[in-house]
Amino acid sequence: MSLAQTNLSLKVTAPEAQRGASLSRRIWKAALASNEFRVGLVIFAILGLAALLYPALSGIDPTKMNVAGRLQSPPFLGDKWNWAAPLGTDQIGRDMLVRSLVGLRYSLLIGLSTVVVMLIIGCSLGMLAGYYGGRIDMVIMRITDAQLSIPMIILAITVLGVSRPTIPAIILVLGLSSWPVYARVTRSVVMTERKSEYVRAAQLSGASDFRIMVWLLAPLVLPPIIFVSVLDVARMMIFESILGFIGLGVQPPTPTFGNIIADGRKYLLNAWWIATMPGVFLCLTLTSINLMGASLERARNRIYGGVS
Amino acid sequence: MFIISFLVRRLAQGALIIFLVTLLIFTLLRVVPGDPVRLMAGGMAPEALIEQIAKEMGLRDPVLVQFGRYMSGVVRGDLGQSFVRPASGASTGGSSFGDATRGERADVLTLIGETLPMTLQLAFLAIVFAMLFSFLVGIPAGLSPGRWPDKVAFYVSSIFISLPGFWLGIVLALLLSVKLGWLPAIGYKGFAYTILPAIVLAVELSPVLIRTLTGSISSAMMMPFIAVGRVRGLSQRRIIFAHALRNASVPLLNLLGIQISGLLGGVLVIEFIFDYPGLGLLTINAVLQRDFPLIQGIAIVTSAIFVLINIAVDLIATLIDPRLEY
Repeated sequence: MSLAQTNLSLKVTAPEAQRGASLSRRIWKAALASNEFRVGLVIFAILGLAALLYPALSGIDPTKMNVAGRLQSPPFLGDKWNWAAPLGTDQIGRDMLVRSLVGLRYSLLIGLSTVVVMLIIGCSLGMLAGYYGGRIDMVIMRITDAQLSIPMIILAITVLGVSRPTIPAIILVLGLSSWPVYARVTRSVVMTERKSEYVRAAQLSGASDFRIMVWLLAPLVLPPIIFVSVLDVARMMIFESILGFIGLGVQPPTPTFGNIIADGRKYLLNAWWIATMPGVFLCLTLTSINLMGASLERARNRIYGGVS
Repeated sequence: MFIISFLVRRLAQGALIIFLVTLLIFTLLRVVPGDPVRLMAGGMAPEALIEQIAKEMGLRDPVLVQFGRYMSGVVRGDLGQSFVRPASGASTGGSSFGDATRGERADVLTLIGETLPMTLQLAFLAIVFAMLFSFLVGIPAGLSPGRWPDKVAFYVSSIFISLPGFWLGIVLALLLSVKLGWLPAIGYKGFAYTILPAIVLAVELSPVLIRTLTGSISSAMMMPFIAVGRVRGLSQRRIIFAHALRNASVPLLNLLGIQISGLLGGVLVIEFIFDYPGLGLLTINAVLQRDFPLIQGIAIVTSAIFVLINIAVDLIATLIDPRLEY
C-alpha cells in the first residue's frame, strides 16, 4: 500500500520537479553565457587552484620565521631580485604569498560553511512558516523581523570577544546572524506554491508534510535561492576578515586575511606590502565571486520575473 | 489619525525589541566565559580580592536579579558606569584598578553621548557621498538597460562590493594621507578628518544602492505614466527626475533603512582603522576590554536607533508614495 502511494505521488511530482530543474538549468545557462560570469569564473578558478596547490607545491611553511630575511620587499619592485618570496616577507620573515594563499583557504572555508549554515536555518524556517502558515508562520516571522532590527554585529563581536574565537564558533555566529533574509524569501515562494495543484494532489495521496517539503517543494524553491546565496559567500568572507582584523577571528599563528592585514598595519610606513598584498588577493577573490553571483542573480530575475 | 496609530503600534513593537536585545546581550555576557573582574583587577590580583570586588559590584547575584537591577536603572535613564573607563577620559585598562577610583568611573550614557554625534556625522557624510555617486552611476544605467552605462554600473558595483572597508581604508590612508598628504586620516582634529572614513564607507554602501536604483529606474521607465508624460510633452529631464526617480525612490529608501544595519558593521571597523572617536571605536574597545555595562548600553542605544530609523523610513515612504500603507 505504501508502495502505491509512493508511485502516485511520484507520478504527480515528476513534471513539477522537472519544472524546478529546468528553471535552474536555464538560470545557470543564462549566467554562463554572460561575459561577466566567465570573467569571474576564470579569476576564481586561478585563485582557487593557486590556494589549493601552491602552499604544498612550494613547500614553504606559512608560519616559518626567518628573521634574517624579514621585511623583504616583493622582487617586482626591483630592490632585490629574490624570487624565493614573490610577494616579499613580513616582519619576521614569513613568506607573504603562501600566507595570503593559506588565508584564502580559511576565508573560503569559513565563507562557504557560513552560507551553508544560513541556508539550512533560513530555508528550513521559511519552509515551515510558508507551508504551515498560521501561528507557526507568525512566530517565525516575528523572530525574523526582530532579528533584522537587532544590531547583530554587536552581538557577534560580543560573543566572539568574550569567548574564544574558534573556526566553528565563527561559522556559527556569522551564520546565526544573517539567516532572516533566506527565511523571508523561502516563505514567500512556498506560500504561493503550497496552494498549487500538485501539492494538493500529493497531500491527498497521503504524502507526509515532511515528504512534501523535502521532495516536492525544496527542489523547486531552493535552487534560485542558492544561486543568489553565492553573493553572501563574498559578504561572509568580508565579515570573517573584519573579525580577524580586530583580533576576533581565527587566532594567529594561523594566517588569515584579517590578522595578516592587522599585523601589516603596524609596518605600513616601511613595508606597505604586508598590509596591502593579502587585501589584493581578498579583493580579487571577492570580485570574482561577486561577478558570478550577480550574473546568477540577474539571470534569475530575468527568468523568474524577480521572485524575491 | 493613521499616523498616530501607526506610531503607537511601531513604538510599542520597538520597545519590545529593545527589551529583548537587552535581555539577550545581558544573558550572553554573563553566560559566556571570561570574567571582567579578573580583567579589571589585573592578572596578579589575589582570588579573594576578585571575589570581594565581584560581590560588591553585584556580579555574583543570580542573572535575573542583576537584570532586574539593571533594567530598573535603564527605565530611569541610568545605563550604569563603565567597568574600566575613568570619568576623566582615557581608558585605563585593567592594571590600575583600585577601590578608591570606583566612584570616578565614566557614565555609560556620557560615553555614548560623546561618541554618537561623531558617528552620526560620519554616517551622514557617507550616505551623502554614496547617494551622489549612486545617482551618477545608477541613473544612466537604469535609463539604458543592457548598454554600456549598465555594464559600467554592473562592474563598478561588483568591484566596490568586493573592497573590504578596512583594507580600502588602509590603502587610501597610505595613498591620500601618507604619500600625497591630501587628507588627514588618523584621529580627529576637525571636520576634514571625517572625509576619508566617509569615502570608504560610501564605497561600501553604494553598490547595493546602484543596483537597486538601476533596477527600479529601468522598471519605472516602462510604466504607463512615463509614456503619458511624453505625450503630455514633458521634458526628458522632468520625466526622469519628477516621475521615474520619485517612483524609484521608495525601494531605495527601504533599502537604505536595511543598509543602516550593514553600515554599522562598516562603521565599527572603519572607526577602528582611522582611530575615529565614534561609537564604533567605543564598541570595539568595550568588547576587547569586556566592559559589560558599556556593551549593554551601546546595544540598547543602537537597537533604539535601528527601530527609530525603520519607523522613519516607513513614514517617509508613505509620504513619497501614498499608495503604501503600513
